[in-house]
Amino acid sequence: MRNFIRQRERAISLKLGKKLVIYIPLFWLLLFFLVPFLIVTKISLSQITYGRPPYLPMFEWSKDNLLTIKLYFGNFFLLFSDSLYINAYLNSLKIAALSTFFTLLIGYPMAYFIARADEKIRNILLLLVILPFWSSFLLRVYAWIGLLKNNGIINNILLNMGIIDSPIKMLNTDFALYIGIVYSYLPFMILPLYANLVRLDEKLLEAARDLGAKPLALFFTIILPLSMPGIIAGSMLVFIPAIGEYIIPSLLGGSDSLMIGRILWDEFSANRDWPVASALAVAMLTIIILPLILFKNAQKKEVAIDE
Amino acid sequence: MQTKIIANKYYDNNQSDNNHSLAADTKPWNDKNAKPFVRIKNISKVFGNVAALDNVSLDIYKSELFCLLGKSGSGKSTLLRILAGFEKSSTGIIEIDGQNMENIEPYERPINMMFQSYALFPHMNVEQNIAYGLKRSGMKKAEISQNVEQLLSLIKMEGYNRRKPHQLSGGQRQRVALARALARKPKLLLLDEPLGALDKKLRQETQFELINIQETLGITFIVVTHDQEEAMSLATRIGVMEEGTIAQVGEPREIYEYPATRFVADFVGSINMFEGKVIKNEAADLRINSPELDVNIHVANNIACALGQTLWFAIRPEKITLQKEKPKKRSNFAKGIVEEIIYLGDVSNYRILLNSKKRINVTRPNISRDEKEKISWDEEIYAVWHENSGVVLAS
Repeated sequence: MRNFIRQRERAISLKLGKKLVIYIPLFWLLLFFLVPFLIVTKISLSQITYGRPPYLPMFEWSKDNLLTIKLYFGNFFLLFSDSLYINAYLNSLKIAALSTFFTLLIGYPMAYFIARADEKIRNILLLLVILPFWSSFLLRVYAWIGLLKNNGIINNILLNMGIIDSPIKMLNTDFALYIGIVYSYLPFMILPLYANLVRLDEKLLEAARDLGAKPLALFFTIILPLSMPGIIAGSMLVFIPAIGEYIIPSLLGGSDSLMIGRILWDEFSANRDWPVASALAVAMLTIIILPLILFKNAQKKEVAIDE
Repeated sequence: MQTKIIANKYYDNNQSDNNHSLAADTKPWNDKNAKPFVRIKNISKVFGNVAALDNVSLDIYKSELFCLLGKSGSGKSTLLRILAGFEKSSTGIIEIDGQNMENIEPYERPINMMFQSYALFPHMNVEQNIAYGLKRSGMKKAEISQNVEQLLSLIKMEGYNRRKPHQLSGGQRQRVALARALARKPKLLLLDEPLGALDKKLRQETQFELINIQETLGITFIVVTHDQEEAMSLATRIGVMEEGTIAQVGEPREIYEYPATRFVADFVGSINMFEGKVIKNEAADLRINSPELDVNIHVANNIACALGQTLWFAIRPEKITLQKEKPKKRSNFAKGIVEEIIYLGDVSNYRILLNSKKRINVTRPNISRDEKEKISWDEEIYAVWHENSGVVLAS
């Protein structure tokens, strides 16, 4: 009997431990993501004013005990009516998608060869992938300016070698923008891909070769489908932050490379239009979350079919 | 029977010459003119400074079910991987059906392999797994699905086409792996611990199925196993491997009754071993004096050895009888005390402590139900054997 009670006690404390593990992060997310997001949503539904804060209150308690709640949707209508915003959104999606594609193209072979490398040097290679994180992100983007500008390192080398007569304009072009994004986000693609590929059972590759798969068929029928979860995880990790990227387009991109992060910043600081900036942010989050939810649902369905 | 008919149908397509199975009385390895189907010539494999295989030569004949038996690290899996083409041998040649396998990629070899963990493709269903090899050889869709159906009925898994590997039991996975390996109609099938992942009962059933399929298809099988019981019941011949070399090749009975070395004798089944010196070596009369026994060992045949040479006499537990009264003969017995009795129903295992403090094992069938004839613990007993019952080993 005593034993039984002790077991019960242990079970209860275990349950408590499990709850703590789940609820602490949940509380953290609630406090630092959901609450700020609700505040932003609230601001996006209010009207601009000149004052501090620069928006009108949503809730008003008048002297005759009347609570008025004002929800102003004009900011969202503005997003749809002004082509600037729509174009910026579409452009952001395009740039994020293309950058994701290029990071995948470069990151996949890198992740594959790290995963297949000798165990002794694998960790060193991984360390090299993570190494750029040890210096400031801003600094690394500035370094690219030094490389790409008209009298920068690349142009100077090419000029001195006599390959070109006048410097190629690279800085403040889409080319520089893509280089910046692909370079900065490459580790986020490599790491989940590596984590997936390193678990790939060597026996499956041998079985496929044994059954007559030549290298190309081996890749497309076995390696690629089995690494799909890694590809999706890596692409999400690159695509989502790339949509809202602000620093890279403003430092490396041209004046015509409209990205939503930049517009958001302009609305917020230069125009001091907090409600429109908030509406932009809410719309951006919706755009990002929607495909995520769809993807999750598709995954659930796949699991359901499997079982 | 069912399996037989279907198997014939599957292989009738274009490999009719493979169709005759190995008859019980034909033993090509005893025929000097028989041409080996698989020739392994002087294969060595070195990993770093460790020799995984050391000058291994082996001939395997068509339609054989050859078992490579050995402990882990004996080199048996390395040999299999060299045959499949996953590893390159450091030296030596492999010929299959007269064709040198050097520089032939795994995907071009007429060999298929069934992997130890089955290595079924987890993202493909049963049908796609089996069809994988056929697709690679560019077979037409209709023909592929026809072949898949035939293979599914061969392994008695019709209707499982759409199941994913993780929805199958261990035994079903094993069969799907077999069907996938057979699909391309290989000349040689390699099986790496084919029954290792199955529980005991399933293993016995699957064993018979495997033999049945092998006999009907007539494909040459090379099976790697560490389980000597599995090797004994499956194989036409066994190659016992020890530290990268072949210790002995022979039929299961030969390996068990006439082990060539102490290693083989000890590895296959259990055995009692006495070390001694030759004191007489004449026609049909070899006498060995062992300090572990009170009387001499007498063996009714002679071997090439010198007087005074150290030899080992090995005898299986079931070839020793137990009696309570002192035998009349002056050799081939040992006196001891029954130290332990393990009653197994059909047989009992006795552990006997000899006067020399050496322990021997004896297995006796429980013929009588009579309690009176029972041998009991701590009883003084004589272990007796016949002059033809044991083997003399020189190494």
